[in-house]
Amino acid sequence: MYEIWLVLNILWEIALGIWPLLAAAALAWVVLMILAARRPGACWRSAWRPAIVVAALVAVAAFLLVPGGTRSSLANLSYWVDWANLAAIALGFGAAAGAFVLPLRVLTGSRRTG
Amino acid sequence: MTRTSSPQSAPPPTDPGRRRWMAALGAAPALAAAAGSARADTVKTKAHIVIAGSGLGGIAVANRLSKRLDGARITIVDAKEVHNYQPGYTLVATGVWPIDKVSDRNADFHPHGIEWVKEMVAEFAPDTNTVVTTGGRKIAYDFLIVATGVHLDYAQIEGMDLKAIGSNGLGSVYPNAEAALATWNAMDTFRAKGGAAVMTLPATPLKCAGAPLKMTFMLRDRLHQAGTLKDSRVTFHSALSNVFGVKAVNDNVLQRWKDLGIGVEYTQKLVGVDIGARKAVFANPEGERSTVSYDYLHVVPPMRAPDAVKNSPLAWKDGPFAAGGWLEVDKGTLQHRRYPNVFGLGDINGTPRGKTAATVKKSVPIVADNLVQVIAGRSPAETFDGYTSCPMIVREGSAMLIEFDYEGRLTPSLPMIEPLQESYFAWLMKVRMLKPAYQAVLKGRV
Repeated sequence: MYEIWLVLNILWEIALGIWPLLAAAALAWVVLMILAARRPGACWRSAWRPAIVVAALVAVAAFLLVPGGTRSSLANLSYWVDWANLAAIALGFGAAAGAFVLPLRVLTGSRRTG
Repeated sequence: MTRTSSPQSAPPPTDPGRRRWMAALGAAPALAAAAGSARADTVKTKAHIVIAGSGLGGIAVANRLSKRLDGARITIVDAKEVHNYQPGYTLVATGVWPIDKVSDRNADFHPHGIEWVKEMVAEFAPDTNTVVTTGGRKIAYDFLIVATGVHLDYAQIEGMDLKAIGSNGLGSVYPNAEAALATWNAMDTFRAKGGAAVMTLPATPLKCAGAPLKMTFMLRDRLHQAGTLKDSRVTFHSALSNVFGVKAVNDNVLQRWKDLGIGVEYTQKLVGVDIGARKAVFANPEGERSTVSYDYLHVVPPMRAPDAVKNSPLAWKDGPFAAGGWLEVDKGTLQHRRYPNVFGLGDINGTPRGKTAATVKKSVPIVADNLVQVIAGRSPAETFDGYTSCPMIVREGSAMLIEFDYEGRLTPSLPMIEPLQESYFAWLMKVRMLKPAYQAVLKGRV
């Protein structure tokens, strides 16, 4: 329980350090979602596929690039805890990218007819 | 690590608008914080609590007590305006972090409503429940928390000059952030050509006892990266018969150093240095001296309690902690053994094992809880097990997350963590997650 509380606090403190960026991104996402939801004939179903594809690509890219971005390398991943944590971080980046692609795709895709 | 008597530098400026935003954002997890400290009941009191020192321990306990005590008067006595994130010094000193990542303003972390006396404690007088500041001010207290940190006793090394750190191949990570950066400059110059590197370890208790080992691992890695390792020789001179107090870690590090070609000399205490001639003088326990030429020297100073503690009735009078004048506290409750209204936090405590920020993280809630119990007329109930953690960097990009207790048992916080396994995750913790964790401790939340 304490470790969960500690991790939440670490994430909170990291967020405090980059809050203008996070606030801008959250605002942009909300605006995109509202615009997408209000679009007449919005087709959400067809937007999921590209969103998932982009999320997967970003996750793979993050998996390959995050170690270098933290002054390390994939060669330093030694045991399953390393792989699991890097995978979780990469999935986080992928999910964030997918969350933006979803409303963007709705806004730029063809409208549902009939 | 807690604070030291390091030179002052101007605090980094903070924009008032940004501070208001930060304060507002900082208040947001109050609900969650309440859940995290559900056991923390509030006690009404008019007691005056004096906290000597405003490092991690001093400020963290002030934040916790200000939430727990209704009506208490809390005074922090410390002249220091800058808050140094000392666990980051090894990263600055090895070229991983820029210097600005380790300096903040103490005032930004103080709880509201406390008094801050911007002087140092010059004298502790526990028989009259008073402290005397460097400005001659007498401050009476009902309860005292001693969190002064250590005194870096460079004076024990003949010829040592702190101002020379960074020049003539001289490095020392401990004094302050500027010295850490100068140490990196000296290491960076040295690695371009390579040569003889002499790393040292004194015989006294140390704050962050892993730092001398991390500096050694990283120096070797920097030489390897620069392609000058083949022209170099790295030798670690320990004043003791080991390099780390926990046997499992000691054995692991020595095996790694053997594989990496790092030599070790035991019972060799650094007693002098000729900075211009680049010669270090070592003495063995029999007093025999030997001179070693170097191209790079990393000096780790002997450490002891600051004079104000060492020369006071609060210091141990006999036993292994008497020589350094360390604070005589019970190692479980961290309450003074002879003055029950006095508690100790961090490096100043005369308790087993070197301390780190992780020691403070674990012991601050215990001291806060025990002090509240004593104020309420009860006995201290919480017991500290000596928990300490040290992310031992083994090269750029990899570390071991070592956690242990008073008994030297390895005590990983999460069962899946292998303490002696070099790991990217441990490195990521060190370079990206520990400072946020430190700040949460500072604010009294974890």
